[in-house]
Formats: sequence, C-alpha cells, structure tokens
Amino acid sequence: MEQNKSLSRRRLGVIITFLSLFGIVSIFEYGISQQWNGILKIAEFTLLLIFIISLVLTYLKTGLWKFTHKSLAELDEREIALTSKSLRYAYAIFTIFLLILLFSYSIFDYRLSIVLVTSLILFAHLLPASVIAWTDSK
Amino acid sequence: MKSRKIYNRIALLRTEKSITRKELAEKIGVNFQTIGYLEREEYNPSLDLAFRISEIFELPIHIIFSTEPLKPISELLNSKE
Repeated sequence: MEQNKSLSRRRLGVIITFLSLFGIVSIFEYGISQQWNGILKIAEFTLLLIFIISLVLTYLKTGLWKFTHKSLAELDEREIALTSKSLRYAYAIFTIFLLILLFSYSIFDYRLSIVLVTSLILFAHLLPASVIAWTDSK
Repeated sequence: MKSRKIYNRIALLRTEKSITRKELAEKIGVNFQTIGYLEREEYNPSLDLAFRISEIFELPIHIIFSTEPLKPISELLNSKE
C-alpha cells in the first residue's frame, strides 16, 4: 500500500516536471513569435518555479539524479543492471522524441531556440532517472 | 533469455547470525537496498556475489541458493531423522 503510494507520488512528480518543462518551452516560443506581455511573463516564471520545485522533490531529494549520474565504480551489480536498463529506455525515448521534433521543425520551418535546446539537454538528463521513478516500485 | 527465479535463505541466515542488512551489505560490498531485493528474491545475484554471500555464512552455495523453492529447515531436519 505504502509502496503504491510512493510509486504514484513519484509518477506524479515525473509528469509535473515534464509538463512544466514543456510549458516553459511553449510559452517562450509563443512569446518570441508573438509579443511578450505581463501574463506570459508571469506564466513563464510560475512554470519555472514549479519545474524547480518538482525537480528538487522528485529527483534531487530522492537521490534519483545522483543515482543515474554516479560512476559505475560506485554502483553494485543490481544498481548497474538498473541504470543500464533505464539508460536503454531513455535512449530509445529520447531518440524517437528528438527525431519527431526535428522533423516537425524542418517541415514547418521553425528555428530552434536556446530555451528549447537547453530543455532538450535537461530532458535527456532527466529521462534515465524518470524511467526508474516510473517503473521501480521501491 | 529470461532467467529463472533463484530462491535463497539469506533472510533466515542473516537473522540467525544477528547481523543487519547494512552490516551484511558492507561485508559483501553492495548497497544495503540490494540485500532487501535479494531477500525478497526480486533480484538474482551473480555467481561472484553468491559466492561472497556463501563465504560470509560459511555454508556451501547450494544450501543458500536454489532454483526450486527452498524447504523450511525444520522440514529438512525431520526428513533426515
């Protein structure tokens, strides 16, 4: 029961993190293409705040970020197997996501902004930890 | 290839020796959470790790690990009598 609660909480944290990251990029792109106004700035700042809080609670405080960024020498055999599995899934997800995104950008002749590129780097770094947060019950 | 489930007596032997998961983890060089996974039979150890565990408990490997569900010690003792 407690394990299910913990898993649901972690999954919710992953969803909030990615949604806020997506929101940050979307509002930035919209603000650049249209005109920045007070509401957009407040929304961008709020989403940035939500992203930071979610990142701290879901990834940093749980040790997931540290776990997926440790050197192999510091991990035992079960942890190596777990990180290897999560990296494999993360690689597949990121490749498909990036291919679709770049393909769409080239079709619609959009330009890649620095915020989008930064978000993609963050996304790539968060994915392995997110796979563990999403799948591992303990 | 899907690996078979490996059953073990780690929890029983650890309790018998009165050592904590953390102490056992330090002795065999793994994270203490891994001991929990091993005891719940949710993770199959490598041959090297299985040998290290058997050395700590000073028992042959086949007494601790099995591919078949392990019988309780009392049942084994009764069958020997």
